[in-house]
Amino acid sequence: MHFSAHLVPINIRKCFEILISGTHMIELENIEKSYGNTKVLKGINLEINKGEFISVMGSSGSGKSTLLNLVGGMDRPERGRIIIDGENITSYTDEELTLYRRKKVGFIFQFFNLLPNITVFENIMMPLLLNGSEDKKTGLEYIKRVGLEEKQNAYPYQLSGGEQQRVAISRALIHNPEIILADEPTGSLDSETEKKIMELIKQLVEETEKTVILVTHEHYIAEYAGRMLRIKDGIIF
Amino acid sequence: MNLSKLIKILVLRNIKEEKFLTFLSIIGIALGVGLFTGVKVASDRAISSFESNIKGTSSYANYEVLDISGIDFNEHVYRNVREIEENSFPLLKVFGYIPEIKEAININGIYTVKTIRFLNISTLADIDFENYYRQINGILITKKFSDKHSLKRGDLLKPLVYDKEFNLKIVDILDTDSLLSNTVVMDIGNFQEYFKKTGYLSGIDLDTNEKTIEQLKNILPSNLRVEKKEEIFKNQKALIASFRYNLQFVSLIAILVGIFLLYSTVFVSVVKRRTEIGILRSLGADKKTIILLFTIQGMVLGLIGSILGIVFGQFAAYFSVIAVEKTISTMYSTISISDYLITKSDVLTALTLGLVISLIASAVPSFESSKIRPNESSREGSFEGKYRKHQKYFFLVGVLIIFSGVILSYLDYTYTPFDFPFLAYLGILLIIAGFTFVSPFYLSIILKIIKRPMEIIFKAIGRITVGDIKGNIYRFSVALMTVAISSALIIALFTLIFSFRGSLKGWINKYITADVYIKPASCRSNYCFYPMSEEVINKVKSYSEVSGVDKFRALQLELFGRKVVAGFADIKVKREISGKRYYESEYDEVLKEMEGVEKVAGISDYLSLKYGFKKGDLIELGTPSGREAFRINDIFSSYSTTSGFVYLDRKWLKEYWGLDDATQISVYVKDGVDVDLFIDKLKERLLPEYSLEIMNNQELR
Repeated sequence: MHFSAHLVPINIRKCFEILISGTHMIELENIEKSYGNTKVLKGINLEINKGEFISVMGSSGSGKSTLLNLVGGMDRPERGRIIIDGENITSYTDEELTLYRRKKVGFIFQFFNLLPNITVFENIMMPLLLNGSEDKKTGLEYIKRVGLEEKQNAYPYQLSGGEQQRVAISRALIHNPEIILADEPTGSLDSETEKKIMELIKQLVEETEKTVILVTHEHYIAEYAGRMLRIKDGIIF
Repeated sequence: MNLSKLIKILVLRNIKEEKFLTFLSIIGIALGVGLFTGVKVASDRAISSFESNIKGTSSYANYEVLDISGIDFNEHVYRNVREIEENSFPLLKVFGYIPEIKEAININGIYTVKTIRFLNISTLADIDFENYYRQINGILITKKFSDKHSLKRGDLLKPLVYDKEFNLKIVDILDTDSLLSNTVVMDIGNFQEYFKKTGYLSGIDLDTNEKTIEQLKNILPSNLRVEKKEEIFKNQKALIASFRYNLQFVSLIAILVGIFLLYSTVFVSVVKRRTEIGILRSLGADKKTIILLFTIQGMVLGLIGSILGIVFGQFAAYFSVIAVEKTISTMYSTISISDYLITKSDVLTALTLGLVISLIASAVPSFESSKIRPNESSREGSFEGKYRKHQKYFFLVGVLIIFSGVILSYLDYTYTPFDFPFLAYLGILLIIAGFTFVSPFYLSIILKIIKRPMEIIFKAIGRITVGDIKGNIYRFSVALMTVAISSALIIALFTLIFSFRGSLKGWINKYITADVYIKPASCRSNYCFYPMSEEVINKVKSYSEVSGVDKFRALQLELFGRKVVAGFADIKVKREISGKRYYESEYDEVLKEMEGVEKVAGISDYLSLKYGFKKGDLIELGTPSGREAFRINDIFSSYSTTSGFVYLDRKWLKEYWGLDDATQISVYVKDGVDVDLFIDKLKERLLPEYSLEIMNNQELR
């Protein structure tokens, strides 16, 4: 069953949204977001096609992580609309947003965000478990893809930074989400590992045809994407 | 969602990892549940033992004819009772104590032919009745008692009964559930002859209706009354009710400490795992799942704690049963509780209690955990920060709750001191809840005060410590309350004990004044109602070392439908001899009045408080010759019974009760006599023939 089919009843407005969005996977319309008195995003407009790999480059505090959080349904904008695959997720309830994150999004974080008390294999399996599946075959397949089959029973603290990020990449992809959001995925890695990880991400997203938003403050990392954007003072260039 | 797998890897593994907190909360719950179970088992068994004692051998009877003073009465009355009600069963009862096995037995002399069929004995046809009737000391014991002490037919029991040791021969064993395990059955004829009780009965059980009871009342002599068994049980139960409630309240406080510990554990776990919760939320775990996971964590800890609590409860039950048995036997009436094993229903209650309290303890932190947003994982302190602004509001609410708690406790103390202290308990719980609300604000104030000295004394470490507590004020407040409640409980118990010791000391100095105390060794209570042999008293009086003997007689009296203990002492002896040593002039005047011709009596504080008696009021006491009014000339604290105590001169015992015997004696020796040597002499001369407890003043004190 298609995700949207059982969540929101099909209505005229939704049909209209699908018609105007065309092949866009992600559409941001005039997004504004503030933290306290500080306006972090000032009317962002952005369209990302299905299967497109884009990077958003900016310095610290420019609003790039906030943008990612909004697209990933982890936060809500004050103004504007976020349309994902034809659905306006800004009107979602908390439960619908949770389901959206569970089904449609894969996150890759700068500090890996692995669960510390469970094994590599269990970390990778977590999105499947949350989706009600215990398909070990898929888990093993993803572990192989990132070359960690020998460390599947290890705990995160027993892995190097690069290995931990490979676990995080597998976890982001295992439940076959349509969108991958990567927040400075190499920010805490050395340059050699950084390169390997970026190549792995690029290879995997190309193989699986995912729509990717990668935020970074490094130009050479941003170059892995098909389209590069810059964000400064809450505005995209 | 694959919940079982999530529980396995996110809950159980975390419990395993957090060893210290897990240990702490499991122990907390185990102690609470264990204490509660132990106390429950002990008080349940005590009540059931009470009930069985009252039902005695005749669970089918609904009324009982008794002497109003709690002593044996002339059997002639049975003939008249039987004429009105055929279903009447004469009975002689006495408690015996077997030092060898440290067990009290309830010896019942029954009209065997009439009563035995009601005992539901499965092997009735096989009982060796021939030997049972033929042997004067032949007894039947229960199978439970025989199994417990590996007793068989032909074995001898050597109980202390009244003031002598007797040999009872086990003729047969009764397989029945209708008797308490320590019940010993003897034919009433043999009982009367063997224990020298010929012509006496302790009671007559009746299976009858109210109309017949009215008829019976008309023919009964004034020293006898008919009581409904149900009423006797209700009164006995009420006697130990406060004892039971207080024990249970202490265990409830222990449970409360357990709740705080578990709450603290789950809360700390939630705070420590904020990042993890954030990650799970970002991966699509919904709020319900998060609540469920942390609730299950609390419930698992609660379950493990409860199981451990049941084991601990079994130990607690064993020791509580011993303590309760001893206390109730001393203060109220001899009971013997042989069954201290936890039943299936106790286990079920303990598990349910453990799970309910763990649900209560984990509910709030679990709900808090669900509020963690997926993007909140990187913002330390935001969890605590949300509540900081409510601190003053919480403080005000706390003060109001404490105030209500104090008022409720005071109202209970003032207006209903003898009923179930529902308001007082509620008040105490409110006070605890109030302090819980107040504690964050209180902690903040303390931190403000100690901040500067901490920085001066401990430099950077002091600053970090204060900052850490300030940043986690709610977590530290929970820890503070856990320690506060435990400490308050300990302080309250110590205050109670020391205050009790202080007033007890005063009481002892006033009343325990003789040099030597002698009572039947079988008497395990402070007051027994069967008399000592007159030969013993005369022998003691004849010794040259003795300057006086105060013959003390305890009796039961009825006051406003409740039984109270009356003590008749030889006031003249007491005043003349011990007055020189101990008394203040005021008390001497009280005793002088008692010694005189006016009918005066002293009463315990309990009676004064319960019925509003003041000095100078008249108190009407039921005697075999009718109700007699005595002027109250003394109100004193009594630590020997909690059912109320009336103190009178012996001359009234003879005049209104027709008795001149004693249940215990206080002996005063001449100046210069070595009391210990005199006691050795008494033991040497008296104990071969009589079973007596002989104590000196210090021992009794």
